[in-house]
Formats: sequence, structure tokens, C-alpha cells
Amino acid sequence: MTDFSLRVEGISKRYGSGDTEVTAVSNISLTVSQGEIVLIMGPSGSGKTTLLLLLGALLKPTQGRISLDGLDLSSLAEKALPDIRLHQLGFVFQDFKLLSALSVLDNVAIVAELAGVNSKVARRKAASLLTELGLAERLNFLPEKLSGGEKQRVAIARALINEPRIILADEPTANLDSKIGLQIMRLLRRIAKEQGRSLIIVSHDQRIKDIADRVLWLEDGRFKDMVTMVTDPVCGMALEHEKATSAVWEGQAYYFCSEGCKHEFLANPVHFQTHQAALSLPSATHQEYPLG
Amino acid sequence: MLRFAFRNLFHKKAYFLTSVGGMALALMLILSLDAIFNGIQAKITSYIDHSGADIFVSQSGVRNMHMASSTLPLTVVDQVEAVAGVESVTPILYMGNIIAAGDDRYPAYVIGLPKEAQAGGPWQITEGVSIPNDGEIILDEGIARTVGIGIGDRVKILSKEFRITGLSKGTDTFINSVAFISPHDFVGLRGNTESVSFVLVKVKAGESSSKVADQIRAGVPNVNVQLRTEFAAQERQVVNDMSTDIVVIMNLIGFMIGLAVMALTIYTATFARRGEYGLLKAIGVRNSHLYRVVLLQTLIGVMLGMILAILFTLLVSASVSALEVKLTLQINPVSLVKISLVSLLIAGLAAVLPVRQIAQLEPAEIFRGA
Ligand SMILES: Nc1ncnc2c1ncn2[C@@H]1O[C@H](COP(=O)(O)OP(=O)(O)OP(=O)(O)O)[C@@H](O)[C@H]1O
Ligand SMILES: [Mg+2]
Repeated sequence: MTDFSLRVEGISKRYGSGDTEVTAVSNISLTVSQGEIVLIMGPSGSGKTTLLLLLGALLKPTQGRISLDGLDLSSLAEKALPDIRLHQLGFVFQDFKLLSALSVLDNVAIVAELAGVNSKVARRKAASLLTELGLAERLNFLPEKLSGGEKQRVAIARALINEPRIILADEPTANLDSKIGLQIMRLLRRIAKEQGRSLIIVSHDQRIKDIADRVLWLEDGRFKDMVTMVTDPVCGMALEHEKATSAVWEGQAYYFCSEGCKHEFLANPVHFQTHQAALSLPSATHQEYPLG
Repeated sequence: MLRFAFRNLFHKKAYFLTSVGGMALALMLILSLDAIFNGIQAKITSYIDHSGADIFVSQSGVRNMHMASSTLPLTVVDQVEAVAGVESVTPILYMGNIIAAGDDRYPAYVIGLPKEAQAGGPWQITEGVSIPNDGEIILDEGIARTVGIGIGDRVKILSKEFRITGLSKGTDTFINSVAFISPHDFVGLRGNTESVSFVLVKVKAGESSSKVADQIRAGVPNVNVQLRTEFAAQERQVVNDMSTDIVVIMNLIGFMIGLAVMALTIYTATFARRGEYGLLKAIGVRNSHLYRVVLLQTLIGVMLGMILAILFTLLVSASVSALEVKLTLQINPVSLVKISLVSLLIAGLAAVLPVRQIAQLEPAEIFRGA
């Protein structure tokens, strides 16, 4: 149960060489648990997109290792990466990137078909997924006929259809008005929690902080100045996230100060879960302390 | 993926249909030219095809009629007749000449046809007699109609006058027509009494024509013996030799126009959607899948163009025959196979540039702006 979906160990990415060399990502380590929502923020040019590309197996790190569900990506041949992306990763983009000539239903179904699912099954699955996301009335619409929020929901359905372990989202709310943006983020949170999928979001949108389990601040290619604090649901102690031990129960990640607390939690999670729920205001489930 | 290919093409219908139309016209150029030459070829052998003869015996070295002259001694007729399996022999006299009707002049195969002819005569008479007597001529009804003459009117061959006593149909071989006169008049025109041009052989029922032909070859020296089909093929070869260059050039032009239209269409369609192809690459679709989409699109476009081209050509051929012009268009299976191969080649080549375009797309660009 304490499986990490994603483990990043000391990755760096340098572009170019010699005088023009740019280190976009520098020696970053990160672990993301199943069902965890991680928000990565940071100034322009800090390496957020580069990091997302690395996590999405779209770019090879110059150094370091990324493992997905225990599978070391750097050990794989370049040719194996598309399949990993298709089956293990879901992508959500700022500008939705729907296929303009295909209906809403086909936009989602095609991704399952490409993963080898029989066309009928793919369409049925896409239809039910879209219905869950409130698009039952829009299945045969072309993307151009949809509102921004609807488009992003289609894109989310597309990201989900192959049941990936990890969803990577790049500024998913940037092209949406704030109310719709918040709805989309709540939707993503619900999916992550209910289905136990990890969610990594890159965004400038401060409001997304509220739905994230953890916020990371990237600057000059490194995580900086912000240690994410979590609360042990058993003893109530505030902990640095990276130093805590964790467990997942019902799609939700919990952090503990010690193995003892963790065992106590796992012995009777319902008790602590309700305790946790009582505290489940965003500011209570996690706190960030910028360290000067 | 098939749906994706289809939808991408039909998303901008007017644009796509225009290029399919262009493709169709290009293929039609190839197809109709073929059809015209097929029509000519079918007509050119119409005398041979309808002669009723199974075997044609000619002077050694003479293998066809057009622009050729054959002379056989009279003795050959009896020699051939004596060969086992021969049902009948019809010696005909033949020359290519000009029929003068008023001020108009028409090239014609002039046949000296014996009264007792078993083969080689007119096969469809619309008016009058089917065997000419001395001083008489059986003329193609099309020519008679064009000139405005008929039974009883007069035409001239080599300044000798003939009275029209019969009109025949189907005796227009495109480059000329076939006219029939008596052997006596023919000799009068040419002055040689001791020879014939061809011996037309009918074989007995149940006999194999090629076996009988072999026996004639064995028994009669210094002649050329061909089955009707071989003789017709030689005749067609004459037209082929004349037309090959034209056909090749026009086919090439049609091919290049078709290729240009299709390549541009698919290239533009791919270029307009490079973002979408980039997205598909980023989410893990293999290049080979995307190449298949492009190839499928060129195939769909080319197939539609081909179907349209065939329909257009059939339409033109139908209206041409309704107009009763000399030309007939015939679409034969060989042309269809040819046009299919040309289409496939176009589809393949038209896909090359778009495929390269897709190959060069960087999936990592996906997060960097729209
Ligand atoms: N393909 C590339 N070649 C060379 N340098 C690059 C390339 N991509 C990014 N960089 C550089 O790497 C650094 C990090 O870029 P990145 O796009 O990851 O930043 P970002 O945090 O996403 O910025 P923004 O918030 O503006 O999108 C920048 O200095 C950028 O100029
Ligand atoms: Mg960026």
C-alpha cells in the first residue's frame, strides 16, 4: 500500500553545451505516492515545463533516474517510451489540444483504441467516462462547439481512458475563467482521490494550492524555500513531507512520524480517517512554511 | 484510426472534394486516352474480326493489312483448299486506295470479293446487295451518309466509276473504311490477273484452327499463315506503334497532375494538423500509426478520384456514342488495372512529404505554447 507511483532520484537536465549550456533542472529528487496531488510552482524559466517533460517520459534526463511504479525509465529504450506514455501517463494541457475533426466521443475513444482496445469497447468506455464528467449531452459535438470548461473535461476524460497511474497537467486552468478553473481542479482532485491516481500539476494559479496535497517551489531548476509540512493523523505531529513515512488508504496518502504511528493507523484507519476528515480543510491537512 | 483519417479529410469538405475532383480529372486524362485508343484498336480490326475466316494466308513476310500489300499465286488457293480440315477458302484481292465521292476523298481498304465468297464479305448490309457485280461497289453507310449519297449514286476509285448497290455497316475502321468491288473490276484497276492477295480459310466444324494452320504451313510453301486473332493482333500493333509515344506522354502528364494535386492536398491537411499529430505523438502514439493515417488519407483521396474518373469516362463514352461521332471510347480491364496501379503509386508518393513532416515533429514541443 505504501507504493510510490513515481520516484525521481537526482535528475538533471542540461540543454545545449559549452557557452550556451543551460541547466534547466538541477539534481531534483521527488517521490509521489499513489493518489497524491503535487503542485509545482515557480517563476518563469525555472524549469517547470522541463521537469514535466522529464516526468512525462518526453525528455531524457541528462542525469539521474526516474522510476514509474518500480520501472526504471532510463533503463528503457527510446522506442519503449511511447507505450509507457500511452498506458501509464495521462496528459492535460493548458490549451486542451483536442482533435478538431473528431467528435467529443471519438476524441476520447481513439486514445483507447490506440492502446489496443477494441473500437466498440473503447467507445462504450469513452461514453461512460464522459457521462461521468457531465458531458453526456455533448458526445457527438465537435470540439469547436464546446466551452473551455467542457473542452478541458474532454481532455481529462482522454487523459483517464487508459487508466494511467499518473496524470500530468500543465497549467490546466490557464485558459479557463476562475470559477470554471476551480471546478476543473475539484474534478481532478476527486478523480485522483477516488481512483488513486497521482496528479502532478504545473501552474501559476494560486488557487490550485487549495486542492494540492503538496506544493513545491521550483527556482533555477531546484526545489527551494518551501518545505511542505504534513500532519501525522495519529499523533498530530507536524512533519516535513520528504522525511515522513507514508501509507495510502482509500486513495488518500497519509504521512507519519514513525513506523509505529503508521501501524497504529493501518490497524484502524477509519478512526483516524474521520479524525483527519474533521481537519480536512486544506490549511489543516498540510501547511507550507517558507524557510527564509 | 480509420475514422480519424476520414474525419480529417472530410472536415474541410469543399477543399477535399476540389482536390478529389482534380485527381479525378488527372486520372480521367489517362483513362479516356486509353479508352480512345482501345476504341480505335477495336475498330481497326473490325474487318478482320468480322471476316468469318479462321485463318488468314498471306504472302510470306506480310503479316497485316494496313499499309501492306500481299500477292499470292493462284495455285496457292487450290493448295490450301486441299489441306485436311479446311472447310472453305475465299481468295480476296486487297489494296489500300482512295474513294472519291464528289469532291470528297476517303481512304479505304478496297476488297475484290468473289461471288462465291464464304468469308471476307460485308457482314451487315443496311441496304442493297451483299456481293458486288462488275461496275458495282458496296460502300460504308457512314461515308454515304456523310457525303449525302446512296444506292444508285456513283463514286470513283483510280478514276474508274462504280455504282453503289449496297451499303454496309461496321465497315469503318477509324483510319479508313472497307469497300467491296468485284474481282474482275479489281483486276481492271490493278492489271494483274494471275494473283490474289489473301486466302481466307474456314476450318471444318470440330477442327482446331491452329492445327489446320500448322498443316497449311507444312503443305504450302512461301506463305504466311496466321490465325484470325494473330492477324488482328498484328494489325493492332500498327496503331500501337503509331500511338505509343502520345499515350506515354499523356499518361505521364496525367500522373504528374494527379500526384501534384494529391500530394499538395495531403501535405496541407497534415501541415494544418501538425499540432494534433504532435499531441498524438506526445501521448504515446507510434509514428507508424500516424504514417498509416496519412497513407490511408492518400488512399481514400486517390480511390475516390479514381471512382469519379471512371464514372466521368463512362459518361463521356456514353455521350460520345450517343453523338454518333466516329470515335468510340472503350474502357477495358487492362486500363482499369493500369489506372489502379497509377493511383496506388500516386497515393504512396503523395504520402512521402507528410510522413517526413510527422517524423520530424518533436513530441516534447507539446508543452511549449500552442
Ligand atoms: N529546448 C531548449 N533548448 C535550450 N534551452 C531550453 C530549452 N527548453 C528550455 N530551455 C531553457 O531551460 C530553462 C527552463 O525552461 P522551462 O521551459 O522548463 O521553464 P518554465 O519554468 O516552464 O518557464 P515558464 O513558466 O515560462 O513556462 C529556461 O532557461 C529555458 O530557456
Ligand atoms: Mg513552462
